[in-house]
Amino acid sequence: MSEASSRKLSDDLLRPLLETSWRFYALVAFLGSIVLMGLCTWAYQMYMGFGMTGINNPIFWAFYITNFVFWIGISHAGTLISAILRLVNAGWRRPVTRCAEVITAFALMIGAMFPIIHLGRPWLFFWLVPYPNSRLIWPNFRSPLVWDFFAITTYLTGSVLFLVLPMIPDFALVRDRTTGMRHKIYGALALGWQGTPKQWHRLESAMSIMAIAIIPVAVSVHTIVSFDFSMAPVPMWHSTMFGPYFVAGAIFSGIAGLIIAMAALRKFLHLEEYLHPVHFQNLGKLLLMMSLLWGYFVFAERLTVWYGNESAEIAVLRVTQTGSFAPLYWTMVVVNFVIPVSILSIKRLRTIAGCVVASFGVLVGMWLERFLIVVPSLGHKYLPYSWGTYRPRPVELLITASTFAAMCLLYTLFAKFVPIISIWELKVGEQEPFETAKERSARVLGEARP
Amino acid sequence: MAHKWGMAVDLDTCTGCGACVTACHAENNIPTVGDEQAARGRAMHWLRVERYWEGDFPDVRLKFRPVMCQQCDAAPCEPVCPTYASHHTAEGLNAQVYNRCIGTRYCANACPYNVRFFDFFNPQWPKPLHLQLNPDVSIREVGVMEKCTFCVQRISAASIDAKAEKRELKDGDIKPACVQSCSARAMVFGDLNDPESEVSRLSRSPRGGKLLEDVGTLPKVTYLARQTQV
Amino acid sequence: MDRRDFIKLTAITGTSATLASCGNPEHQLIRFVPDDDIVPGVAEWKPSVCPMCAAGCGVTVRVMDADVETVRSGQAGVVKMAVAKKLEGNPKDPISQGGLCARGQASIQLTYHPDRLVHPMKRTGARGSGEYKEITWDEAIAELTGQLDTLAAARDQKSVTFLTRPHRGRRTALAAELLKSFGAAAPITYELFADEVLRRANAISFGHEQLPTIDLARSRFAISFGADFLGTWNSPVAQSAAYGAMRQGRPGVRGAFVQVESRMSLTGASADEWVPVKPGTEGVLALGLAHAILAGKRPADAGRAGAAIEGWTSGLPDYTPAKVEQITGVAAKKIERIAHSLVELQPTVAFIGGAPLAQTNGLFSALAVNALNALLGNVGQPGGISFTPGGGADLGRPLGGASSAPTLGSAKVLLLDDVNPIFASPKAWKVREAIAAIPFIASFSSFLDDTSIMADLILPDHSFLESWVDSAPESGSMDAVPTNAGPVMKPLYSTRATAEVLIEVAGKLKSPLALPWKTAEEVAKSTAKASPQPPAPSPKSPARFAEPVFDGDATAYPFHFLPYASLQFGDGSSAHLPWLQEMPDPLTSAMWSSWVEINPQTAERLRLAQGDLVDVTSSQGTVRAPVMIFPGIAPDIVAMPVGQGHEAFTRYATGRGVNPVSILAPATEPETGALAWAATRVKIARAGDPDGKLIMFAGEMREHPHEGKTR
Repeated sequence: MSEASSRKLSDDLLRPLLETSWRFYALVAFLGSIVLMGLCTWAYQMYMGFGMTGINNPIFWAFYITNFVFWIGISHAGTLISAILRLVNAGWRRPVTRCAEVITAFALMIGAMFPIIHLGRPWLFFWLVPYPNSRLIWPNFRSPLVWDFFAITTYLTGSVLFLVLPMIPDFALVRDRTTGMRHKIYGALALGWQGTPKQWHRLESAMSIMAIAIIPVAVSVHTIVSFDFSMAPVPMWHSTMFGPYFVAGAIFSGIAGLIIAMAALRKFLHLEEYLHPVHFQNLGKLLLMMSLLWGYFVFAERLTVWYGNESAEIAVLRVTQTGSFAPLYWTMVVVNFVIPVSILSIKRLRTIAGCVVASFGVLVGMWLERFLIVVPSLGHKYLPYSWGTYRPRPVELLITASTFAAMCLLYTLFAKFVPIISIWELKVGEQEPFETAKERSARVLGEARP
Repeated sequence: MAHKWGMAVDLDTCTGCGACVTACHAENNIPTVGDEQAARGRAMHWLRVERYWEGDFPDVRLKFRPVMCQQCDAAPCEPVCPTYASHHTAEGLNAQVYNRCIGTRYCANACPYNVRFFDFFNPQWPKPLHLQLNPDVSIREVGVMEKCTFCVQRISAASIDAKAEKRELKDGDIKPACVQSCSARAMVFGDLNDPESEVSRLSRSPRGGKLLEDVGTLPKVTYLARQTQV
Repeated sequence: MDRRDFIKLTAITGTSATLASCGNPEHQLIRFVPDDDIVPGVAEWKPSVCPMCAAGCGVTVRVMDADVETVRSGQAGVVKMAVAKKLEGNPKDPISQGGLCARGQASIQLTYHPDRLVHPMKRTGARGSGEYKEITWDEAIAELTGQLDTLAAARDQKSVTFLTRPHRGRRTALAAELLKSFGAAAPITYELFADEVLRRANAISFGHEQLPTIDLARSRFAISFGADFLGTWNSPVAQSAAYGAMRQGRPGVRGAFVQVESRMSLTGASADEWVPVKPGTEGVLALGLAHAILAGKRPADAGRAGAAIEGWTSGLPDYTPAKVEQITGVAAKKIERIAHSLVELQPTVAFIGGAPLAQTNGLFSALAVNALNALLGNVGQPGGISFTPGGGADLGRPLGGASSAPTLGSAKVLLLDDVNPIFASPKAWKVREAIAAIPFIASFSSFLDDTSIMADLILPDHSFLESWVDSAPESGSMDAVPTNAGPVMKPLYSTRATAEVLIEVAGKLKSPLALPWKTAEEVAKSTAKASPQPPAPSPKSPARFAEPVFDGDATAYPFHFLPYASLQFGDGSSAHLPWLQEMPDPLTSAMWSSWVEINPQTAERLRLAQGDLVDVTSSQGTVRAPVMIFPGIAPDIVAMPVGQGHEAFTRYATGRGVNPVSILAPATEPETGALAWAATRVKIARAGDPDGKLIMFAGEMREHPHEGKTR
């Protein structure tokens, strides 16, 4: 690309770092206050006792576990987009990868907070870490919760690496464009990057390895999260389908989150030239595919339960489809399946706005899906004498709300200090010839160009 | 041979009177949570008497079933506890180690019998109700799980006494609080590894069955079915 | 220094440093020298008698050391004391046989209740306000003595009334002796669920004015007319033990029983056959069975029991199965089948208690059942009914609604001994007004309840664990079981044994009374003078079935109202114990609540859902409570447990729930004057949506909630 257009690209994408309007401060203050309120609420919960939540006997997991699964699910966006699209060398991924990877990193961090928030004695959470101790006891490696610990820390480590590695050339760019304190900090972060061919080669190798390695880790993370449920003999938890079901649902919610994040960035950071409708359309097609896949899983599971007529499972099925949870259930079906499929399968409706509407629906629907997996089953186990109901209390609502604020806050802060679109990748992409999908698949599959 | 503690509950003799429930509270320092918390589903009845209606008036029946921790040999609550707070002892009991519990409540979800309870707040005993507390049983703090232990404090005390007196434990030496209080003698406790013990004999009864047997937990409480006479 | 000294030094400096760092040395708790001889950590077991009902179960109490906060000579401090930790049934006691019911287990909370009255008090605020100030025992005794002296000076000794519960053993004997010496009438007793009608019937039929002992353990078939014998009636622990033996205690023999009642009780849930009948017709059913047993033959000699029934000698012509079916609603075939069992499966036994006796024709029903037993030949036989020797005669006279019953009317000094008639009697009896009009009231109760809160002077008794206790159970054992036991622990507070307070007062009167006992121990260990059995009353005429009279006409008040003794609270006297409030009611799983039990079809018809508030209105008033859908009740009956609805009764029961006794009509059984508490009719009206006060432990009512529903 020409020098001028390259310069313009850098200018546009560095502007959010170098210029700050009052709106930024206002937004940070607003989000920050909600996050602060969330932290205070958590402190209050720890001080007063876990009884401040709505948890009861028999529903011992509710909002916090729902949030845990939800946020870990959101974190699957980054992997899919970045790693898989990187591997198949899909060009349209370039402006999108960092947005996605950032979602992963922050969603994981937020999601990983919840297993601590939901503990009865959270100050002892470190007992899940296998360190040599005077009690001569390790964590119970048979427990899915311990698997969660390993899976999430592995995924978090991997995702952070996957995120930070390609940030190095961009840090170098900022270093070269700034002076003073900024110059020093970005210089340190750039780790001495000079853009030599050797360094580029090393970076590309590292990215390729990470891209391959991170995919099974991502799949395993949400599979292991699903094992939290499927390993317990609870009606409609003990399903062999949970592994793939949860992974599919995670990717589904992840893409929805990504679409929303991208749309917001495009609008507030004026990145219309870099995030084109085709990006949204492609993601929209992925969202459509995941919606159909999700619908397939739900249908397969429910048909099996209904047909099998095992009484404990039927009780849970009933309460979700026709009983007290029915309003939530059918809302979920509408916003997760009916609306997205309708919008996204019609080309005329698959605009940025259309994709965003569908995505918001999916976020709501996927949160409800997690809730509807956790709570109705726990409320209707094998002995009807012990069935129960759940209602969230203010602490749970406040903490839940503050995590959404935390995500937005972290994202906003990130976009302030790091270019949200990978500048060097975009430039590289400009230099590559445009490929049609046919050409790309031929190249990937090693066939001759048609 | 090591003991394997078990129980038998005769549903033909159980009257549903609930004396066992109150006796358990008294023996095990179970907190009274109060009306507000009870309304929110936090009452802690380690042993409960389930009641189920059948039929409609006038052909209506009511059946009772005391349910406590079944001390399952394949307990689903044990593998899922991340800190080994729930684990199996050599005498077949499912032990809950309060000090080790961080309160994930996974065990409570995994338990098909709903016999595990959580301390949602620090227990309160307005003075001088605290004078009644049994010194042989720990008080549990907020955030830990608790459940029936087959009155392990009584098992320990009897075992220690027998050892000190250089004799074997006899069948009937140990009675958990519920077993002792039952006026109809509906509950029996003993060593399943002793084929002559009353609990072993009752576990072989043709009226005997286990609760939720097909979930595969291998519970150690045998329920003797109620009989009818027409 | 060597290691031992070092450890000692660090321990001392550490401790004193800690204590010093507590700041104000006045906040250090002084440790008093223990005066109990106890080894820390080692339990002793001491015998006592459970006070929660009149059964008199012998208990054994686990006593261990504890640090008790106390005040001595004005100094606050702690002292290591031997205190009660847990009650168990005493295996050597023939009544409890080692078992103990829920109320018995909870009775330990009487001693440790946070709202227990701990020292004598004198009223400072208005009567009923609960405002009192602490006074010394000398002042309290002087006050009471002064009041009695004033009466004596005015030659008005008869104006002192001692109000207590019936069947309190030697304690009542002491009160009776004191009153007699003083010149007043015998103590007055009150108990809501007193079964006086049954005692009268037993006196007429068998010459024993007492409750029967039922040898279920050796019976093969029993029929209970309304008696909740496994839950609240008569001697539940002894009866439960016998029941267990009846079922599975004899190899190859399993006893069965039929429960005849219109609301399923705890006992009814265990019945092999549950037979609902029209209220007030239980006696007819009993005679129907007798008729079927006789099957047209000349009646067997059933002695006085048979003679008490009109038509007995002519073969009970009015009680053919067809006629009985018409009156009771029980199918003739069923009557014949049960009669057949009563004969073929002997030894068999019948008994009656609860609601059937609380009708205007209750005496007839009881006499009918007695005649049936006499016909079956089981009186005094294994597997039948018998009468515990030495049990029975109560030295008090029951408070009642019949004109012959004593009232509180003209008393000037009222001595209240742990009884709560303001709560447990119908408003129409105006007990509250009568008590309010009495110039001076002293109470010995350990708690402020609806009645004792009217007291001007409080002289709190020890709890039973701190007292000499005695019992001579009226039933529950075929042999006499007189028991007495000493205190298992020293008093925690500045309370005094009421027996000793009475003895001291008697001795300090201007004209001291000479009582045969000097201490509570002597009272407890004394035995009743063997008094000749009063001649058995003969009924005015042989009993015949009379339609029960219900208060309220059937159109305006379409439902029978059944207030029943609750398992946890009895007549309300244990509603202040937190374990019992939190114990899930066996049939409904409700805790901390009041409710109205309504048949599901009736509820549907009236568009009432579980938890909805309803107003239950009789001719006497209204109570409002949540609906409890209850499959085990007839469609034209509604029931409410008795026990909640106290206006004052410690933090756990004050202002909680509603009291169904308050709307009972003052119907009585004519011969005894006993309250016919099952004879009120009511109407129901929906009053609102659920208010969250109905708290249930259970989720679902049925094990297979979707049974019968197709896909």
